[in-house]
Amino acid sequence: MEEISFRNDILPLKDKLFRLALRITLNRAEAEDIVQDTLIRVWNKRDEWQTLESVEAYCLTVTRNLAIDRSQRKEAQNMELTPETQELTDGVTPDRQMERDEQLHLIHRLVNELPEKQRTIFQLRDIEGKSYKEIAEIMGLTEEQVKVNLFRARQRIRLKYNEIDAYGL
Amino acid sequence: MRMDYKYIEQLIERYWDCETSAEEEQILRMFFSQTEIPAHLLRYKSLFAYQKSEQEIGLGSDFDKRILEEIERPTVKARRLTLQTRFMPLFKAAAVIALIFSVGGVMKHSLSDGNGAGVIYVHDQFERRSTDPQVAYEGDSVKSPLEKVTEQPPVVGRNHKQ
Repeated sequence: MEEISFRNDILPLKDKLFRLALRITLNRAEAEDIVQDTLIRVWNKRDEWQTLESVEAYCLTVTRNLAIDRSQRKEAQNMELTPETQELTDGVTPDRQMERDEQLHLIHRLVNELPEKQRTIFQLRDIEGKSYKEIAEIMGLTEEQVKVNLFRARQRIRLKYNEIDAYGL
Repeated sequence: MRMDYKYIEQLIERYWDCETSAEEEQILRMFFSQTEIPAHLLRYKSLFAYQKSEQEIGLGSDFDKRILEEIERPTVKARRLTLQTRFMPLFKAAAVIALIFSVGGVMKHSLSDGNGAGVIYVHDQFERRSTDPQVAYEGDSVKSPLEKVTEQPPVVGRNHKQ
């Protein structure tokens, strides 16, 4: 196995890790914090890099666990997903282009309304283009569980599509 | 052209049922990133365009700088290790000095063995004599070393010539 370099192999994962953390926490500042935390933890484990099957999967697992931890810690003061809070989470993720595009905005909200597991799987599959096997490894699930959760996520999006078709935006 | 769209429609159907491969899903994203999309498929554009646009999100280069600075810190830890290695020359010097002393001691010992043979000889003789029962039979203790000395000169003289 080739030598793993932090600068060339691990640091470039930052965007991917950030997107996953953002998908789970729905908060940019928090997501950035999580990525930083992840990279430092991974750096401190540099003696074990060679024993890992995939450093990327390992990093994504650490990021997800940190993001879930933080989300759960926030759960205490958390509110349920009501129409108001859905608006709130959207507002926290500033993407200028998206705000201009009503349709994209709608999809964004739709995806972020999904339960964490489905949301994470959607992120890893439909945005990062990962295989079911990789996702299963990252999330500690079986491939079947990954597929079931992805199926639910896509069906929910499809259902919304049909609703939009029937009633308009 | 129509055939192409049939393929895309099929892909979308299979996409909902999670039967598409990662490559096929990539084809869908590529297809919907085009500017010209037939009207009946336009409703799906936002989903796949969203997937593609989300791939662009990332962190700035100032983040790299911050992380690398943070990473530098453990090298302070590493420096603590080099501090130990930095003492190595000192340890080596101490070892060399110890070696010089011990070798020097041996040298001095062997040199004094050669030069001061008389002294050591007398000392040895004295010691041996002190435990030798023969001493009891000898006469005056003051006389005997004198007798010895008179016996010795030839030996000492020979040593000095050498």
